[in-house]
Amino acid sequence: MSVIKIKNLTKTYHETEVPVHAVNGINLSFEKGEFAAIVGPSGCGKTTLMNMIGGLDKPTSGDVEVNEIDISQLSSSKLIDFRLKNIGFVFQAYNLIPVLTAKENVEFIMQLQNWDKKEMNKRTIALLESVGLGGKLNRRPNQMSGGEQQRVAVARALASKPQFVLADEPTANLDSRATTQLLDIMKKLNEDENITFIFSTHDQRVIDKARRVITLEDGKVVSDKTKSEKSKIVRRK
Amino acid sequence: MMLLKIAWRNIWRSKLRSAVVIFAIASGLVGGLFSSAWMNGMAKQRVKNTFDLETAHIQFHNLNFIDNFDVKKTVISTTERLEELSKTEGVKAVTSRLKTSAMAATATKNMGVTIVGVHPKSEKEVFGIYKKIDSASGNFLNTKKKNAIVISKALAKELKVKLKSKIVLTFQDYNGEITGAAFKVIGLFKTDNSTWDKMHVFVKDADLRKVLELPKGQSHEIDILLDDYEQASIISEQFQIKYPNILIEDWSKIQPYISFLTDYMDIMMGVFMLIILGALGFGIVNTMLMVILERTKELGMLMAIGMTKKRVFIMIMFETIFLALVGAFVGEILSMFLIKYFGKSGIDLSSMAEGLESVGYSAITYPALEPYRYLQITVMVLVTGVLASVYPAIKALKLNPAEALRTV
Repeated sequence: MSVIKIKNLTKTYHETEVPVHAVNGINLSFEKGEFAAIVGPSGCGKTTLMNMIGGLDKPTSGDVEVNEIDISQLSSSKLIDFRLKNIGFVFQAYNLIPVLTAKENVEFIMQLQNWDKKEMNKRTIALLESVGLGGKLNRRPNQMSGGEQQRVAVARALASKPQFVLADEPTANLDSRATTQLLDIMKKLNEDENITFIFSTHDQRVIDKARRVITLEDGKVVSDKTKSEKSKIVRRK
Repeated sequence: MMLLKIAWRNIWRSKLRSAVVIFAIASGLVGGLFSSAWMNGMAKQRVKNTFDLETAHIQFHNLNFIDNFDVKKTVISTTERLEELSKTEGVKAVTSRLKTSAMAATATKNMGVTIVGVHPKSEKEVFGIYKKIDSASGNFLNTKKKNAIVISKALAKELKVKLKSKIVLTFQDYNGEITGAAFKVIGLFKTDNSTWDKMHVFVKDADLRKVLELPKGQSHEIDILLDDYEQASIISEQFQIKYPNILIEDWSKIQPYISFLTDYMDIMMGVFMLIILGALGFGIVNTMLMVILERTKELGMLMAIGMTKKRVFIMIMFETIFLALVGAFVGEILSMFLIKYFGKSGIDLSSMAEGLESVGYSAITYPALEPYRYLQITVMVLVTGVLASVYPAIKALKLNPAEALRTV
């Protein structure tokens, strides 16, 4: 069953004399447990597409359905609540709350959902341990490396048990070692807990790990390949 | 709780900026509170002096006495009545006085005065004129000799007399005849009100009564000192019901200026603080707008991950309130120390003594502020914080998360 269905999605910006079609009639669907990467050159519409999937931006036309709810029709307040309960975000620049510790950053999402204190504490510790930060619960973002911060961001994204995680260029600011660590963690969470991850990325290491790669150009999907097709291509070479 | 934590920690993110705002709020409050305490201290001293030297808290007069000080218009002031009054709940002390207008004459000058005939013992329980005589200036009718008089230093200067000099007082007696007697100066007082000083002289009740030919058990005025001056209107109303044929007035009616002064100080302080807090409010708005601008990306992230607009609004409001309250706390503590210090040592304006004393104010002022004023100011700062947070918070709510996340 599809977690996300995208139908005829377009986003046109009229900020210049000539309208810019950032996303131009995209149709896609994502199944539960996917580990997909959206790739393409800069300006091809990756972030715009991610923003619309995440309910951060409204489409000019078309629908984004998450579990059969058309989120493009939701009011902004319902969208906030929808995002809180259904979508986990990982951003390029980590975007943790700088005044909170790693533990508090993860708890924050659960506090917004009024979790029971004990449950919250238990889940926070489990999540931070799962991303290898069990010993750095009380570190603030400025006391952690970029890779560690991004792992806290992953733990935070998973805190509310979302339907899927959207990761916008999550490895762009990380070195090779931190990237490998982060990808391994996300892959493990995907395989062990069947969590859906959708990345937008330029990073070949992410593309290599993805089981599905969707390539965009000029706001359109130009290819959509799953892992088996990817390996066939490699073997043919 | 988490919002409170974030808001509190956020104000310490930019320590220098927060310190500047806190310093601005604190110095504004120190200025405002100290000035208010100064004005309040002056007013309080004026009020205290009025009670202590001029009016006590409640006065009894004959219904027709006040109009022209007619010596025949008396009230009953028997020992029994005075005792009865002194036993009333809330009453601290009672005394009776004779009062008549007179001409004070010396070899060089004549001046119009009010003679106050007192019982020295009970007078000292109600009024504090005796405290205004320094050790080198005689005493307050502490003599068995007849026709002793206590006058002010200001009057003595005008009449060119000194201790042991004689003054002739001329006035109308009980029968309407002009009469007079010579009195020997045995004490010289000086209050903070030079105008009042020049107009009042004190003699013993018995001496004046004899010259006035006034029957015993009658006086022109009964003065009552209460435990709490704020109870004066209630107690005077009770007395009025009991003695309907006597004019009974509390201090606010006897000296409307004093009543006005206390109310006026309240209003002035309120206006003063409103102006200061208003100016500070704009400073806080400006700072918070900078904060919003700097944290656009972070606010976008918070909204993206599911923080509702209401919570964003509350977080910014908390942050603004905390900033204002920390400033208020620092300002109030500094003010407390300053007011306490100068409340003991006093602010000496001796260079302006003549001008101040001519209108009844002391040359040395002791700033004072009631504890509830600090609470009042804290509430005012809190309200300022809430109001100052509204515009920046609205600005934050208008952010589009997707666009905010794109900012650098």
